[in-house]
Amino acid sequence: MTAPALLVEGLRVTSREGRVLLDVPQLALAPGQSLALRGASGAGKSTLLHVLSGLVRPTAGRVIWGGQDIAALTEDARARFRRETLGLVFQDCHLFEELSALGNAGLASAFAPASERAPIRNAAAEWLAVLGLAHAGARAVDSFSGGERQRIAVARALAGGPPVILADEPTAALDRANADALGADLVRLAAEGGRTLIVVTHDATLAARMGRQLTLADGRIVEDSDG
Amino acid sequence: MAELWAALPNAAQDLLLALALVAPGLLAGALVLRGLRPLPLVGAMLRRFAFVNALFVALIAVSVGLGVGLLAQERGLRQGSARAAEKFDLIVAAPGSEVTVMLAAVYLQPSDMALVTGPQYAEIAGAEGVAFAAPIAFGDSFQGAPVVGTTADFVTHLAGPLAEGRVFATSEEAVAGAFAPVAVGGSFTPAHGHGPMAEGDAHEGSAYTVTGRMAPTGSPWDRALLVPVEGVWEVHGLANGHAPDDLRIGPPFVPEMMPGTPAVLVHAAELWGNYALKSRFTRSDLMAFFPGTVLSQLHGLMRDVRSAMSLMAVLTQVLVTLSVLIGLMILVRLIARSLALLRAIGAPLRFVFAVVWAYSAALILSGAGLGLALGWGAARAISAAVTARTDVLVTANLGWPEAHLVAGFISLTLFMALLPAWLAVRRPLLTDLRT
Repeated sequence: MTAPALLVEGLRVTSREGRVLLDVPQLALAPGQSLALRGASGAGKSTLLHVLSGLVRPTAGRVIWGGQDIAALTEDARARFRRETLGLVFQDCHLFEELSALGNAGLASAFAPASERAPIRNAAAEWLAVLGLAHAGARAVDSFSGGERQRIAVARALAGGPPVILADEPTAALDRANADALGADLVRLAAEGGRTLIVVTHDATLAARMGRQLTLADGRIVEDSDG
Repeated sequence: MAELWAALPNAAQDLLLALALVAPGLLAGALVLRGLRPLPLVGAMLRRFAFVNALFVALIAVSVGLGVGLLAQERGLRQGSARAAEKFDLIVAAPGSEVTVMLAAVYLQPSDMALVTGPQYAEIAGAEGVAFAAPIAFGDSFQGAPVVGTTADFVTHLAGPLAEGRVFATSEEAVAGAFAPVAVGGSFTPAHGHGPMAEGDAHEGSAYTVTGRMAPTGSPWDRALLVPVEGVWEVHGLANGHAPDDLRIGPPFVPEMMPGTPAVLVHAAELWGNYALKSRFTRSDLMAFFPGTVLSQLHGLMRDVRSAMSLMAVLTQVLVTLSVLIGLMILVRLIARSLALLRAIGAPLRFVFAVVWAYSAALILSGAGLGLALGWGAARAISAAVTARTDVLVTANLGWPEAHLVAGFISLTLFMALLPAWLAVRRPLLTDLRT
């Protein structure tokens, strides 16, 4: 699937108390581009990522992926959009501890349409192999190191063949060596597949690998630079 | 429709009722799970919180077990007591309490009773339509087993052909009940009375030799030692119902030589004859009754107790159902993060709903299945204890009432499990994801 272009217009997210959490008048991202969202804690970068993924519905504005405004979709339609378009990687890997590595990587096969289940499982096994876990698919995930667990989470994000990958602090819980390796893999795999990659990170090394960097402060984009 | 239902055999009615009770829950499940495969994830969640889940299953199992056990036990007791009395067609005794006489003559519970005199017995035994009239004389015991004086006719009537040996032929011989404490060929001296107050040496010098053993009857008579009634009279130093030079045992007895007997079992040649005999011997100096009728009246009185037990069983189920519901809501909080992940990566709400419902259903069905086994096991254990204590063979087996109770419980709880599933998909996704 070709990566969709992203266009954000008049985006605002406010808290129940009316405090502005995010205010992005306009943001565009070309298909296949990689983008780092940077900023201090509370700057709004994770909120922006959540809005872009449809996990949070904005108070106002449009979030258009490939011509489709996901802010206007129902919850089930947004879930379908995430299933078909996005691969999500979280800071905390969010793995099912009682499932194997393959079970976690192929988790989407549990709820995918019947015709997509086998391809997702096969892809999960292939991504595990690409990420250096070729022979560990049957092992329970609680036996893996932090770096390996995050690789399983990346394999899960890629297994459905999404054209867009959104990652929230994917290397924050890893040591330097593991963070560098995972960051390099993420960027490489996104680039090889022509995928759009958006990463929230405090990690300057990872941010430097991206084609573009946005810095946020108080919910606003204060700097937009090429990587 | 009502006529069609009434025309069905009982088993078919029970089966259809069970299916009707369980159908709403299963139908809900079929609709929830249609086209989805949540079971691998449900398995993972069950393993993830194995201890909590096991506790939850145990709670359901104990509750279901209580209900099932109560129902099965009550029915087992009723059937066992009825079975023990079924050989006792008509009993004639001195006027008094029918229940007391029944407990003494049928269930061999010690009791002080007035006696049927020799002439009265002769009148009973000689009445038209009487096949045999067996005196039942109790009061002695051996090692806790009642020693009962009667006739050879009664032994055969009670247990059919002997399992071993032969029926007594002299006043110093005895037939042992199936589980009586004396083997064929063994001898015993009876004690006067029963239990701790029994006088062990009261009949010193008298002894019976066991010549045969009865097949099991499922009644207290299985532990009894049956001796000729003449032997009972003799060891008490009384006349033995026959002329001094008459050495035979069994009826007819000489009325003037017969010391009397607490009860007489009357077996009519024809079934209808029992009613005529009952009518004839229900009078101011005698009392005649059918033990089955008295037992039925007792069961009727106990119907209130039965209703109370059934109500308790249902109330327990209702309370546990509510507990199950609350527990499921708590369990959903435990798995909320996993559910949020599923939603985040694109699982449809219907799938998440199905995961929670199937998770609940797995706990409910496991608990109900375990509860059935637990209830059955408890009822069997209690039945064994009651049998050991009363010698009335109580067999508690699972029946349709228990199946209906469990089917209703499963259906109700499966239906109620829709609520926590619905609440689960309404939880704030991002909050749960960050938990």
